[in-house]
Amino acid sequence: MNALACAWRSLVRQPARSGLGIIGVAAVGALLFDMLLLSEGLMISTRSMLDSMPFDIRVTSTDQMPGRGPDIADGPAAAAQIAALASVKAVTTLRREDAYLMRGDGTRAYGSVLGIGFGSGRPWTLVSGTDVVGDNEIVINEFAAQVTGTDIGASLTVRSNCADGATAPPAMEFRVTGIATFVFDALGEAGAGMTDTSLAEACGTPGAIPADFLMVQSTGDATSTAADIDALGLHLQASTNDEAMGQLQQREFTYFRQISTVLTTITISFALLLITVLLTVSVNQRLGEVAALRALGFSQGRVVLDVLWESVLIVGIGGILSLPLGALMAVWLDGILKRMPRIPADLHFFVFQPEAVWIHAALMAVTAFTAAIYPMVIVARLPIATTLRNEVVG
Amino acid sequence: MSLTTVSARVPARVPEGGHPGCCYNPRVAPMHTHRRRGRVAGSVVALSCVVILAGSVVPAQEAQPPSILIARQLAALEGIAVGDEVELTSGEPGSATRRFRVIGTYEPTPNPLQLGVASRGIRMHLTDLLALTRDAATPAGTEHVEGITIALQDPDSTRAFVNDVNARVVGAFALFPGQAAGAGDTFVVLERFHMAIATVTIIAATVFLLALTVMLVDERRATVGVLRLIGFPAHRILVQVLIEGVVLAGAGALFGLALAVASEGLINWFFQWRYDTALIFVHVTPTVALACVAIAVHLGAVATATASWALLRSGGLRLAKR
Repeated sequence: MNALACAWRSLVRQPARSGLGIIGVAAVGALLFDMLLLSEGLMISTRSMLDSMPFDIRVTSTDQMPGRGPDIADGPAAAAQIAALASVKAVTTLRREDAYLMRGDGTRAYGSVLGIGFGSGRPWTLVSGTDVVGDNEIVINEFAAQVTGTDIGASLTVRSNCADGATAPPAMEFRVTGIATFVFDALGEAGAGMTDTSLAEACGTPGAIPADFLMVQSTGDATSTAADIDALGLHLQASTNDEAMGQLQQREFTYFRQISTVLTTITISFALLLITVLLTVSVNQRLGEVAALRALGFSQGRVVLDVLWESVLIVGIGGILSLPLGALMAVWLDGILKRMPRIPADLHFFVFQPEAVWIHAALMAVTAFTAAIYPMVIVARLPIATTLRNEVVG
Repeated sequence: MSLTTVSARVPARVPEGGHPGCCYNPRVAPMHTHRRRGRVAGSVVALSCVVILAGSVVPAQEAQPPSILIARQLAALEGIAVGDEVELTSGEPGSATRRFRVIGTYEPTPNPLQLGVASRGIRMHLTDLLALTRDAATPAGTEHVEGITIALQDPDSTRAFVNDVNARVVGAFALFPGQAAGAGDTFVVLERFHMAIATVTIIAATVFLLALTVMLVDERRATVGVLRLIGFPAHRILVQVLIEGVVLAGAGALFGLALAVASEGLINWFFQWRYDTALIFVHVTPTVALACVAIAVHLGAVATATASWALLRSGGLRLAKR
């Protein structure tokens, strides 16, 4: 019988303790797997959302993320200058403001309204109906349609709450032309889109058309296009998707990366400690048995290998079980975190990536080996005659 | 004293020059929405960026420029010392610059969501900020502020005051302090997330504890068998094992608590140094300590009883292998 088969029989002989050990490893392994998914999840998810938008450069007034810094005072003028560059394919201005969307019967939903101008690019995807083409037209998301009970063709009153708008902006009536999904739609939040001039009127400042940022689509090389925009001397910041991701990684996602690192370390240490204790107690209970095997002619290496295989089997089976368990837990934890305010519905904190499985497997393998070291040393240094004598006398 | 907040686009009517109690703090001023807070914070960051470009020290003038406080991290980053004069601008192309004198540094309110980001905040008198950011078309005194923090003399009148303001003042929303914090929901969610992870960890620990207890009880199979043979009833042995489990679990919990308290300072020191923040990362409160001990003792007792139960159902002779 080889070492693996021998280790398997040792486990099967004591199903309760083996089962509990495997379940424990599965639980810890699931948490470890989730932390690996969390470490890069936000980055991958955000990258995917950015790449899904029809632009590869964003232009803002400062080096802050869009919406965090001051507005670009005259969005269309800046857009016109940028659009004149040969390396630019399209430019669209985007302004976002908070607003109430209200029906005549008093039902209303609070959310955000996007004002789009200059180019033809849209940060939303039309689900039904037609897009906005002129003033007093609006597209809304499905949540807003449900809450307000509005359908295509109906009228909707918008009462905005603009950052740079009038003290008491007018309540303006719009015609719903379509239902759309917005890339950064938050769960349970109403969303709407209209032209920038319509939004300026809704804000009570029809003469001013500021923009939170400009969405620019390059003809090919985003980096050189961003450099071209910087060279215009508009006192604006152009950043590519890669640069935006770098900023997010440095400024925004630190908390989750840190908690992921800390919990990965803790779960590995926890698993290591507990498997070591389990194996050590198990080996200590079988010292007489091991000494008998040695006396029968089993080599030192062979009995040491038995212990190692036992560790590998417990961690291996637990590790395999931890993957589906971790996937289920990731869905649960993702659901909890997505209840944070203003988190886009398409953004995920836990994102599956093949690398995470390999890293998980490598960490579990290291844990299995390291946890087995101390029990292996006990078995290797076991004095055969003394142990057998103690066993008989005991 | 009770704090509440009126948040709206309220026209600013502050006497020119302000007063000592009017120091505007955009980083801590409660806002109605995240967006508003972000905008103000962003504006101040923009101002700070100009400080960098303009160079920190400007030759002193005869007339005393308005005073400002700058964040400790910004002072360190840009080498600005108390007493230095700096020029600030709103960042808009062609906007005017104004000279300010740094009269001190302050420690920004720690924000877990800004971990790793050096604060580049500035605190100045509201009138100075309005004068700096006001465009030419806006007459002085017609600008807007985004929130007013109000301290009530009678804390019990907060609700009545909030209701009164919301009923009487058009275009303004009075909020309770908890609502005004804005990011409160975020931290409630994060707390739930931490609790979920703690639950999974406890489940894993329970399973391991059960496995260990099964092994330890099994080790004492013969002893239990002898006790049964000399007349000890099963429930008497179970009580003994249970007490043993509770004592061990209690000792383990206390050791864990001692370890947590001892490492608390070390962990806080490391992360505060790593992220240059005053944020407290680990804090063992009496509630947390009690919860840990209660959970550990109960788990220890349950694990011991569960592991012993199967053993005690066997006969004494079988256990003693006789």
